[in-house]
Amino acid sequence: MYESSLRDPTPELASLLRARKTPPASLDGKTVALMDIGKMRGDEYIDRLEKLFAGVGIATRRYKKPTNTRTAPVAMIQDIAENCDLVVIALSDCGSCTSCSTHDLNDLDQRGLPGVSVLTTEFRDAFAKQCASIGFGGASLYVPHPMQNKTTAELHQIADESFDAILASLTRQAEVAA
Amino acid sequence: MSDISETTYFSPECVGDGYVLFVKQACETCAMLRPVYQELVEAGLPLQVVVQDEPAFYKQFSPIDDRRLESSFRYDIETVPTLVKVQAGKEVAREFGWDRDAWQALAGLEHLGADLPAWQPGCGSKSREPGVHEHLMEAFGDTGLRSRKIEVDHWDDPVERCYDRGWSDGLPVVPPTDARILRMLSGTTRRPDEVVGLVPPNLVPCTVEKVAINAVLAGCKPEYMPVVLASLETALDPMFTMHGLLCTTCFSGPIVVVNGPIAKRIGMNWGINALGQGNRANATIGRALQLIIRNVGGGIPGELDRSTLGGPGKYTFCFAEDETDPSWEPLSVARGIEAGKSAVTLFQGDGIQGFIDQRSRTPEELTRSFASSLTAVGHPKLAQFTNAMLVLSAEHYEIYKNAGWDRKRITAELHAACVRPSADLVQGAHGIGEGIDPRRKDEGPVPKFWDEGLLIVRAGGQAGLFSAILCGWTGGRFRDQSQPVTREIKE
Repeated sequence: MYESSLRDPTPELASLLRARKTPPASLDGKTVALMDIGKMRGDEYIDRLEKLFAGVGIATRRYKKPTNTRTAPVAMIQDIAENCDLVVIALSDCGSCTSCSTHDLNDLDQRGLPGVSVLTTEFRDAFAKQCASIGFGGASLYVPHPMQNKTTAELHQIADESFDAILASLTRQAEVAA
Repeated sequence: MSDISETTYFSPECVGDGYVLFVKQACETCAMLRPVYQELVEAGLPLQVVVQDEPAFYKQFSPIDDRRLESSFRYDIETVPTLVKVQAGKEVAREFGWDRDAWQALAGLEHLGADLPAWQPGCGSKSREPGVHEHLMEAFGDTGLRSRKIEVDHWDDPVERCYDRGWSDGLPVVPPTDARILRMLSGTTRRPDEVVGLVPPNLVPCTVEKVAINAVLAGCKPEYMPVVLASLETALDPMFTMHGLLCTTCFSGPIVVVNGPIAKRIGMNWGINALGQGNRANATIGRALQLIIRNVGGGIPGELDRSTLGGPGKYTFCFAEDETDPSWEPLSVARGIEAGKSAVTLFQGDGIQGFIDQRSRTPEELTRSFASSLTAVGHPKLAQFTNAMLVLSAEHYEIYKNAGWDRKRITAELHAACVRPSADLVQGAHGIGEGIDPRRKDEGPVPKFWDEGLLIVRAGGQAGLFSAILCGWTGGRFRDQSQPVTREIKE
């Protein structure tokens, strides 16, 4: 059993959450990791994202977790850290995926990769709670819930609609806008 | 006297009028007195027995199981047995240990324990065993701590959460729980809410409580607190220029040298491997100072700490001076602190430049040899640009000592030996761009260091003709603006 509460060693001027790594001002020359959390239908959403990134000339690398119910394998995290500059994690629409993917987002952030997690609206609170418990001010973006019953065309449309927000969250413009 | 009428922890067992008895099985006196407890019950006195370890041992008295020690904590029990008399929910008297006359008076029973010895001491209460009281304060008391509380999930690893929150220098930190912080605060008489100073770069007020929390993170023992506090106060002396030192692109950080009796009392190392790893006080005092700069001040590498390369000394760099040889004047005394007092000296410096000389036999030879290395500090062609700290080993000092050279003489001779002709030092001379201002070409002899810019400390193992030079920070070129600072440690 671990200790249950700690005291803050800082002057408490900032949020309890550690800010995520500052994203770059632009995505020119950057490589974005597209991490599929391993839940069904996420790949269809990411297929579309991949095309959208290619359409604006931004390099991507695809990754797929073996299961959404665990954090990503260390080798995958290391590969992303070695070969990419930013990460988009999609698409969490359940409790375990939200928890595990938030840890992945945090892990990559601590390796210097800012990123954004895409979740369904139902898991807004779960994301916030997981962030709070690990003290991480992660970036997130929400698409309509449920998504498991959507057609591929509908998932692509959701990807189209979220793309600008994803781009913004991967650059400093999002910080300014926020 | 504690007011137990307001507490709920004891109910429903608690009695408004009667006696409360605190015992443990492991206490011989407690066990010996079982016939006395029986007499109390048979006399019709309302008696509540509270057992700290094995309730079954006293089962005939239907005891309260206080293995959590909550009742013992709330009654502030220091010794078992303790017999407390309660009237109308308030404690009116107590006896601890076995004193037959006193117990008879307290119980109002003339022949109580008549067959037992007149007197026998009790044992320590489990609630007062080392480290326990702070846990009980955390669980049941008002800790008085004001810092923001951060909950860690039951299954979460607090060390990892400390990393997540950015509180670490890269090495694991000790999670700052209330019990640990309270223990750390017991190492100082200063109030937790006292502000020690404004910590750069964010210039935010740092309380004694925040110092204690960071000392916990660093792994300090409570008895190091006076040194940690003195180090911080010294670092915050404007003359030390901690602000510039932490933001600098240079390698430097604060190097802490401890003098006086406290060094021995808290087990610091000034001998073998004094500048290296392996001693808790050396390692954690220097680390605590750096963690305060990081966590309170906001001096985070890559953000406002802009050191090009940094250096391992920025994790921690703290050691004591060897004062075992009475012929040697301690650094603190040379810098104005009364002999026999404890003090810290903070020096703005880098990691070590090793100095090897296994051939010099005379003080003159050794001095020239030291000078050849000292003039390389920062850059061989820079002068009055950085300070330096020479850590003089035992065998090198022996050469000086045998010749009758003391601190003053060694310092003066080293200064003299470090003088170089200005023509050799100016920018461009010898085909090297770096150097002193070309307008000084005809100035003649130029000292390497300001008069007060060469500090000498004795440390290290008895064997080895090796000393160390700790190169100073470039801020030292502003002679009147940035200097090492020495301050007495108040205990």
